[in-house]
Amino acid sequence: MAEDLMTDTHKTDTQKGRVEIDDVVIRFKGRQGPVTALARTSHVLEPGTFTALIGPSGCGKSTLMNAIAGFVKPSEGSLRLDGKPIAGPSPEVGVIFQQYALFPWFTALNNVRYGLKQFGLPQGEEIDRARAALAEVGLEAHADKYPQQLSGGMKQRVAIARTFAVGPKVLLMDEPFGALDAQTRLVMHELLLNIWRKHRATVLFVTHDVDEALLLSDHVQVMSQAPGRLIRHYHLTQQRPRAFSRSGSDLLEIRDEILDLLHPKTDLADSL
Amino acid sequence: MAVTDMSEDPTKARTSPRIAPFLSQGAKWGAKAGLPLISFAFILGIWALVGASGMVKEAIFPAPWSVWSATVEMWQNGTLQTDLAKSLGRAGVGFGIGATLGVALGLLTGRVALVRTLLNPFLNLLRPIPAIALVPVAIVWFGIGEGSKYFVVSYTVFLTVWFNTHHGMEYVPETYLRASRSLGASRMREFLTVVLPAAAPHIFAGIRLGVALAFLSLVAAELSGASSGIGFRLQEARQYVRTDRMFSLLIILGVLGAVADLIVHAIGKKLVHWEQG
Repeated sequence: MAEDLMTDTHKTDTQKGRVEIDDVVIRFKGRQGPVTALARTSHVLEPGTFTALIGPSGCGKSTLMNAIAGFVKPSEGSLRLDGKPIAGPSPEVGVIFQQYALFPWFTALNNVRYGLKQFGLPQGEEIDRARAALAEVGLEAHADKYPQQLSGGMKQRVAIARTFAVGPKVLLMDEPFGALDAQTRLVMHELLLNIWRKHRATVLFVTHDVDEALLLSDHVQVMSQAPGRLIRHYHLTQQRPRAFSRSGSDLLEIRDEILDLLHPKTDLADSL
Repeated sequence: MAVTDMSEDPTKARTSPRIAPFLSQGAKWGAKAGLPLISFAFILGIWALVGASGMVKEAIFPAPWSVWSATVEMWQNGTLQTDLAKSLGRAGVGFGIGATLGVALGLLTGRVALVRTLLNPFLNLLRPIPAIALVPVAIVWFGIGEGSKYFVVSYTVFLTVWFNTHHGMEYVPETYLRASRSLGASRMREFLTVVLPAAAPHIFAGIRLGVALAFLSLVAAELSGASSGIGFRLQEARQYVRTDRMFSLLIILGVLGAVADLIVHAIGKKLVHWEQG
């Protein structure tokens, strides 16, 4: 297990995708003055790591993600990717949305080609690359279908193929499997880990599902109630694929701790 | 509950999963296409009964056969053909100008904040003014010829198409734009292949409304100041108290509008194919 970790770290060191979150504060205009969505936060996502960001709903985890994606400007502090400030959305930072965000007027293939257009490839090569990306998520047979003809899991697979095809250094996922049933979710976890192992982007995975965070990530960051800040960090070294039955009791202990953090017992007692 | 629902709403019954398996695909299609005919036949039957009973005066409420012979008469002396050609030409040209300008300006006001600030409040102020109120102005500006008809029709169509296009642009989902930008698309490609298709259903809804309004405003323009066209012929029929001709012309107007709507709807369905389930 320790050996596995060593090789992992070694491999990732050679690649880029380092995200620096430096004293970032995010406020929104509310009806009664500014509302702090994200309290002062500093953190570094090391290249090639898989970090899960978990916290109660409305705690600002999506806000932090949107800031790294370049959709939202921090009110204070700075965000850098490999030393360069993040000024707006860019293909270096891929985003997977909970609602897939596939374009319904394009087939699965053309959705993937949409991202490839920027490279100005010859048409044949562009199509080949898009097909290869779809094959990677097991959807080569569905290339010519429209999103509305695909199931939720398949849609998200197209979205994953579309994003990875562009070759992002960082991949942000905002509760990507939140709309899927438990069975499909497990399949998607395996698929995501396989593709991530190949492409080695730095992943930030926003979820409110503790189990999902523990099964997938190297690092789990727990956020507080709004205004959110990072309150606890776990470094997980258990070999993947993980399962609570196989991966030892430490995962279960961490799980209980995180659940306690998210739903303090006193609250529960009050509500009973 | 379900049973009363079905008897009240024939469209529901048609798509009901309980009934669907008993109907073959062809039979279902036949039923769908045939349903309006049942309604037409029903109304025509009542109309014929009233006409045959002699309860109402022919001059006030003509029977179906009188309306039919009035139609044949107008066709044989050639006025129907020229009126149809004139009216359709006016509606077509006016619609073309209005829809083109409406889509173009809607894309602009939807996309460019400065244009929006300069024009939207003013255009919204114009929207409640009915087409018929414009006819006197149009006649002063463009005379009694074709110009005033084109103006009234294109003005009406323009406002509706502009309004819908503008709103379609406003409701382009934010996630589509976010996805597009983090996939590295240029603004031009984003506009052509994301914003436009995302707004297309609204644009087509506007165009469909525009077609209906083109006929409405055309007849308004022709009723007061024209020497040909369906609207003019209606006005003329009033002078001779030819209710049979009036009925004929009204039915023709209804059929024209319905056919135009069907055509636009079919084209829209093809172009915005992803909107249907």
